[in-house]
Amino acid sequence: MSNMVYLMTSLPSLSLGQVPPITIDEFNDDAKRQLSVRHYKKLQSVDIQKLNAQVGVESISTFLKKLKEDLSEVREAKAQNRQAKPERMPSSVLRGNPLEREMNIIQWQWEELQDIEAGKTFTLTEVLVYKLKLQLIERLYSFDENKGAEVLASVVNPEKNMERK
Amino acid sequence: MAGIKIKYTKTERARQKKILKVSERMLPLFEAMEKSLMATINTISDRIEQLREEIEKNRKAAEAWTAVMSDSWVNINEFISVNKIITKTIDVAGVRVQQYVKVDFNVMPINDDTPLWVDDAIELMQEQLQLLAEIECLKEQIDLLEEELLDVRARVKLFENRRIPNAKLAIRKIGQKLQDDERLTIATAKVVKTSKQREGKI
Repeated sequence: MSNMVYLMTSLPSLSLGQVPPITIDEFNDDAKRQLSVRHYKKLQSVDIQKLNAQVGVESISTFLKKLKEDLSEVREAKAQNRQAKPERMPSSVLRGNPLEREMNIIQWQWEELQDIEAGKTFTLTEVLVYKLKLQLIERLYSFDENKGAEVLASVVNPEKNMERK
Repeated sequence: MAGIKIKYTKTERARQKKILKVSERMLPLFEAMEKSLMATINTISDRIEQLREEIEKNRKAAEAWTAVMSDSWVNINEFISVNKIITKTIDVAGVRVQQYVKVDFNVMPINDDTPLWVDDAIELMQEQLQLLAEIECLKEQIDLLEEELLDVRARVKLFENRRIPNAKLAIRKIGQKLQDDERLTIATAKVVKTSKQREGKI
């Protein structure tokens, strides 16, 4: 517990839309030093990118599991040309262009994580949520108009990978 | 014509007349072919322009959300690549060219944990790559047609500037020569006849 307190008090506070104050690797290094092997193992398994639901904290597991199911439902609905009915995710976040939609989803995920960590100060849940929130901040920070245009151009390149039959 | 030896014979005149007849018949055909090739090249160029406008339109439409493509969670290059451009051989203005049919893509399966924008990006990239592939095919068609156009233009010039004028000149010269020869023969015969008549009187 005291280690958890030390870890959480030593980490910078997070807010969505800010420049990541710490990298995931730095956070992992700090956590490795402060947490027990068992807790650190749980921290390693939690990942909002891979939506791994086997994390040992039920509220987080349920959130990630439902998120995965909702994304699957959105895709299925699109393929079937019908209105998506996600269970946990509000339909309103799916509005707008792909960038707006992704930002809405990140905002909603952030709010969900805040709900999960409410009242769980200095617990493993708070540590796990911190990692997930840091992942969201890093991801949101990576959205860049110029870099995105470069990525598009690198794929849509007429001289690349073209072989005439 | 300079430097070319003409045989001043009736056979040669007949041969030159035949060349002239064939050349005068072929010239309009080559001229028509030239016009047809030029029109086809223009049509293809217009189509390329249309496709380029479409690409630009798609790019502008996606401009509002391209920022998401730099998502640190996704490497979109891994999701889509061109396997092959499928074409078929067709005849355009008498030239065999490759016509665009479709693009065969390598698309990686999308998992449930893949962000939703990836689906839209793949759609956009497929659309753009298809348009670009069609442009490439059309450019190659233009290259082949321009090659043929150069050949046809060379033939038109050959007929207009060399074959027809040369044949006409040859026919005229042979005609004059044959006429001169005929006059000379008649005049000689007359002289001989007159000489013989004089000898007889004496």
